[in-house]
Amino acid sequence: MSDLVLIVPEAFLLLGALVALFADVLARGHARAGAWIGAVAAILATAAALWAGQGAPALFVGQFAVDGAAQVARVATGLLTAAFLVWLAVVGLQRGSVRDFTALVLFSALGAMLMAAARDWVVMMLALEVATMPAYVLMGFDRSDVRGLEGALKYFLLSMVASLLFLYGLSFVIGMSGATAMGATKLQPGLVGALAAAFLTAGMLAKLSAAPFQWWAPDAYAGAPAASVAFVSAVPKVAGVVAFARVVLVLAPQAPSLPLLLIGAAVLSMIIGNLAAYPQTDVRRLMAYSGVAHAGYLLVGLAAGGEAGARAALFYGIAYAVPSLGVMLVAATVGNTLGEFRGLAARRPFLAWATVLMLISLIGIPPLAGFTGKLFLFTAAMGGGLVPLSVFAVVMSAVSAGFYFRIVRAMFFDSAAQDLQAPRVPAGAAAVVALCCAAVIGIGVAAGPLLSAISFTAK
Amino acid sequence: MTVGPVPFMALAAILFAIGLFGALSKKSAVMVLMSLELMTNAVNLNLVAVSRFVTPESMAGQFTAAFVMVVAAAEIGLGLALVLALYRKRRTVELDHIDELKG
Repeated sequence: MSDLVLIVPEAFLLLGALVALFADVLARGHARAGAWIGAVAAILATAAALWAGQGAPALFVGQFAVDGAAQVARVATGLLTAAFLVWLAVVGLQRGSVRDFTALVLFSALGAMLMAAARDWVVMMLALEVATMPAYVLMGFDRSDVRGLEGALKYFLLSMVASLLFLYGLSFVIGMSGATAMGATKLQPGLVGALAAAFLTAGMLAKLSAAPFQWWAPDAYAGAPAASVAFVSAVPKVAGVVAFARVVLVLAPQAPSLPLLLIGAAVLSMIIGNLAAYPQTDVRRLMAYSGVAHAGYLLVGLAAGGEAGARAALFYGIAYAVPSLGVMLVAATVGNTLGEFRGLAARRPFLAWATVLMLISLIGIPPLAGFTGKLFLFTAAMGGGLVPLSVFAVVMSAVSAGFYFRIVRAMFFDSAAQDLQAPRVPAGAAAVVALCCAAVIGIGVAAGPLLSAISFTAK
Repeated sequence: MTVGPVPFMALAAILFAIGLFGALSKKSAVMVLMSLELMTNAVNLNLVAVSRFVTPESMAGQFTAAFVMVVAAAEIGLGLALVLALYRKRRTVELDHIDELKG
């Protein structure tokens, strides 16, 4: 029974969410006590995920198993959630109650952690839903804001269609294998098997906001409350990459057309993401398109196939999530439009330099996390024989430098409008941004040990 | 006369296609939600049919269908809540009129 410690992280998150809901009763007069409770729960969950190690509890008959990849993804999810909740506790929300928000964030993180360790199709499907359903509510959290609700509705509709595509593919897979365990998957060769794999992949692509399912992301990000966007755009994606990698690892040997689909989606995502980001004047919309492009880079690793590609993809997922969360938190403090970023270097030098560091990592300049991540991805793609695709991805990440530098130019070279005030930055919020910067540097420098900690096991 | 798996799978495929078409083309948010329900039913029918005819010795498809129903009900409930919240603000459920966000 001692192997049940493996689900202690999830237990902490669930407990934290339930306690946070009653934060107003527990700590009267402290509006943001819920977020502090949530942050403590997330830190405890991270510690538990680190301490519990790896293995498969016998009680769950192979439906749930923690391997290296799952452990790394769970620790990363816990840390990012904790950082986000500390930021929330310090800054607070413009509208709505912090305790509800915290509970939703923790439920989503709980789903993400379960998803990373799921070894059963049904468990994975349920975990995916637990991770995304709170995200709809977070996106439409401000019920007085029509734009936020519209973005949330678009997010919901696309996400639901994606779930159903996934389920339709799953209905063939489960029917054909006669079992729900991922390890027992048996696709029949031929058209039906290929279609089933294509449906499953399409559902996963949509959840990752990769092309051709990217259109909801910019609208949802631009309309939703800043804090929701920061969480939804970064944190659940880490575990999503692990789940996607497992699906590809299981299906690719049985569906020869799968790598082609992934290559197509990767090319399309990189083109649409990087080119559509150029004309944007809203930073969150710009970051949404940049997220589409980064999903494209990830897919390069997954298309390469094999464990090397999957490991590189997860590493890149983390290397993307950290600076993405950081930039979104800065945008939540400073403002949404490029105009509000103007002259930030003079008004808040620390935030401006932190943003530069994180953008440089997103472009992929050494020695930061983004560079090592791309290096691993493209090495894996070369190893898988996808040389033209790697070259194309390198060219595209050079193209991406252009729109990231538009933010840098606004911060350093444009003078601010007269009436623009310096944004209020509490010490705690600055500390969280500094932590993201430290993580970006740390992941880049200590890339070797992190990559070798990521391992995918079949059982 | 025995009926094979093909008619069931074909019906499920047709239902799924109608639902997908409706979800992508309908103007009213309520109609879109109904189309999504149709797709859910297609998924359940397919699960049960494939499972019954290809691997009848295990009940995997049948009990997965129960999970799918629960998930779909929860999702549609959330979607309806979003549509209602939007309706209170805009007095319309026509998706063409809900277009504050562009670009």
